[in-house]
Amino acid sequence: MKTLEEIENLSLEELEMKAAETAAPVPDGLERRLRQALAARELAQAARPRPARWIPYASLAVAAAAAALVVLPQRGPKDTFDDPLLAYAEVEKAFQTISEKMSVGLDIVRDAEQTADMPYNTLNKIQK
Amino acid sequence: MKRIIILFAALLLSFSAFAQNGKSIYQKYSDAENVSAVYVSPAMFRMIGQIPDLEVGQENVNLTPVIRSLTGLYILNSENAAINGSLRADAERFINSGRYELLMEAKDSGETVRIYTVGNDRVIEGFVMLAAEASEVTFICLDGQMPRKDFEELFSKAMRK
Repeated sequence: MKTLEEIENLSLEELEMKAAETAAPVPDGLERRLRQALAARELAQAARPRPARWIPYASLAVAAAAAALVVLPQRGPKDTFDDPLLAYAEVEKAFQTISEKMSVGLDIVRDAEQTADMPYNTLNKIQK
Repeated sequence: MKRIIILFAALLLSFSAFAQNGKSIYQKYSDAENVSAVYVSPAMFRMIGQIPDLEVGQENVNLTPVIRSLTGLYILNSENAAINGSLRADAERFINSGRYELLMEAKDSGETVRIYTVGNDRVIEGFVMLAAEASEVTFICLDGQMPRKDFEELFSKAMRK
């Protein structure tokens, strides 16, 4: 049995020669276990779906969805009027409708202001 | 990975299905019965902008800056009781999903009028008026880059009449 120091002093060639002289014992059933492990690995790889099969289809689906999002909103409605004067008349009518509806709100505010001023005016009259 | 991509595609489709704007609301309801609908496109607005001496009623009001800045006008007036609720809900969803601010709300004689705008101090990018009563819903949506000053001046003059 060599000491650690003796082993450390050996050259690389001497170490290789020593290693070649003594055959390492192979554990029982190693070959069988290796074959089984390799077979199991091959089976697992075969069972796993190949990503290349579905990636193009999924990419196409995503691209189609994105294209639909981009293209569909661009198909706008058709102009109601062909004549700009008629269109303008309708725009004017829309503005007048908006003004009327806003006026309703302003009328309510004016009424509220008058109601709010009533106590103040009454007090003023009493003080006079 | 496959599931993620399918989920992503489904999400994209669902977002597009739920996305609401003036155009989509117009397209959804414009062909329904008892609904009057008006759409004016950006191209038509450009043509209107070429008309000289635009007037509102009897008072001369320069509409040109506002008209030229518009890119879309959608008007829906529904007297169809079957869709009024849905139209109102869609319009409110559209307003709530955007950055719209309530400009005015008035309730009078069973009618509720809400006016919303979106934009900044200088420019109004969107204007929505939703007027709803028991039997009628009116939805007016204006898109564009309207100068706020011109827009407010226009309506203040029109309201003074």
